Amino acid sequence: MRLRALILKEWAELFRIKMVLYGCLFLPLFMAGMAGFLVWQGRNLPPEAQAPLFNAALLYFLILPVMIPVTLAVYSVVGEKEQGTLEPLLATPLSDLELFLGKSLVAVIPALLLTWAVFGLFLLAVSFLLPGGIPEGVLGLPWLLSLFGLSPLMALFAALVAMLISSRASDSRAAYQFAGLAVVPALVPILIYSVRLTAVDLRFVILEGGALLALNAALLYLGIRAFRREDILIRWK
Amino acid sequence: MIQVLGLTRRYGPRVAVEDLRFEVRPGEVLGLLGPNGAGKTTTVRLLAGLLAPSAGDALVAGHSVARAPEKVRPRVGVVPENPGFYKRLTVRRNLRFFAELYGVRDPRRVEEALARVGLEERAEEPVATLSKGLRQRLALARALVHDPPVLLLDEPTSGLDPEAAKEVRDLLAELSLAHRAILLCTHNLAEAERLCHRIAVLKTRLVAVGSPAELKQRLFGRRVVVTLANPRPGLDRALDLPFVRSAALDGNRLFVALEAPERHNPILVRRLVELGAEILFVAEEERTLEEVYLELVEGGDAA
Ligand SMILES: Nc1ncnc2c1ncn2[C@@H]1O[C@H](COP(=O)(O)OP(=O)(O)OP(=O)(O)O)[C@@H](O)[C@H]1O
Ligand SMILES: [Mg+2]
Repeated sequence: MRLRALILKEWAELFRIKMVLYGCLFLPLFMAGMAGFLVWQGRNLPPEAQAPLFNAALLYFLILPVMIPVTLAVYSVVGEKEQGTLEPLLATPLSDLELFLGKSLVAVIPALLLTWAVFGLFLLAVSFLLPGGIPEGVLGLPWLLSLFGLSPLMALFAALVAMLISSRASDSRAAYQFAGLAVVPALVPILIYSVRLTAVDLRFVILEGGALLALNAALLYLGIRAFRREDILIRWK
Repeated sequence: MIQVLGLTRRYGPRVAVEDLRFEVRPGEVLGLLGPNGAGKTTTVRLLAGLLAPSAGDALVAGHSVARAPEKVRPRVGVVPENPGFYKRLTVRRNLRFFAELYGVRDPRRVEEALARVGLEERAEEPVATLSKGLRQRLALARALVHDPPVLLLDEPTSGLDPEAAKEVRDLLAELSLAHRAILLCTHNLAEAERLCHRIAVLKTRLVAVGSPAELKQRLFGRRVVVTLANPRPGLDRALDLPFVRSAALDGNRLFVALEAPERHNPILVRRLVELGAEILFVAEEERTLEEVYLELVEGGDAA
């Protein structure tokens, strides 16, 4: 299948770039380390007092699904521009939708896998190292929904924004700058947490999830309309 | 196989190509010649279904580039102006990727295409290590891997050494025998003359289309060169035969344009002798494609 061929090619290419590879490994490990450090500091507190620390720590894992896709998506578009591969790529029967979706998935899939992997690592480490293990109620439905429901939506949002911006931007530095916008959805839960110091609750997850779903649908629609091979060929110089 | 029907493309206010009309038949190589900025690359992109025409249309392998470019793309092989490969990936990985996009599953087809352009030995090297000429050959392999009935080649021998260029030319000659329609953009006039059945000269608009011989005749008529032992000034003006279109004396050579040299040469020679000329040689003038091209391109402004 063409989509599969595109995605496998992208990965073969992207992870051959040392910067990208190490960046993609370092960032998740760093975030997991930060999260671990945070809860480790409260190891002697009573469990009720540990819960807010855990909530803060878990937020680190919501940043990853937006940070990783931005780097990957921007790189994969910039790479095509720089190597002059767009013209032969667009000359193939690959459709605009396949190209847009393929490039987005290239960024989303590793971001999610890495996030979940280091989250697993974090849980494992914490339950072994903390004397009291994980306090009750922290890993409830809201958090699990955030990680497995919100994260994919956030990652897709980030990838779509990065794709749209880098396909329009005339140079790669500008693309990186603007693609920072993609991080906004991850900031919302952090903002809420810093104001109320409470756990991410179910109502919030559903609200943000709904909003992201609508945004992604809009972006996908926009992307497919704006992402015409004609423009890409003439603009992506 | 390729029918171009009034194809026009503008970039903003700039007209890149206007009202092109020509065709390329199966088994034919049509050379597209024209100065820099004439619109050759634009034409290739239009015919490849990469750019939408601003007006007009073209049928490529039976499908409209304006209305169904997605049906055109699988049926053409393109060698773009810049080859464009993923330089971190190997030669084989690059070709396999494009083959997959064209729906070619069988890995043997990839190997065949590599062998055809002589790149088997470099197959496991990253494209970054290939020279420009080798990349050009890889681009040709990519254009052939799905065995398309139509080939669009934008200067495929630019940057190749003479031997490699010859190999590419031989390959193209072979490919046209297999009933493919080939459009070949080139700046190499000798190449065009050797390889192309017909030639189209482009300068935003189509200036002329025809076989090299036709173009020569249409442009210059047929001229006979008479080399004289005793060139006498005024001899050209003294030639008063009805079928002589023009005559010009240049040194000891007299150039005479005739309608039909086969019929008129004997009469011409007799008359010259009557006028006191001593004739050393009589020959038909050889025009090069370069002269034809320059005449067309420089005169194209007026048209
Ligand atoms: N993306 C673009 N945007 C604006 N103008 C363009 C674009 N591409 C080509 N043109 C213009 O269209 C005209 C035709 O260009 P084209 O590249 O087709 O010429 P060409 O015959 O291939 O030239 P060369 O021999 O240099 O390759 C030129 O005037 C060029 O400046
Ligand atoms: Mg060109």
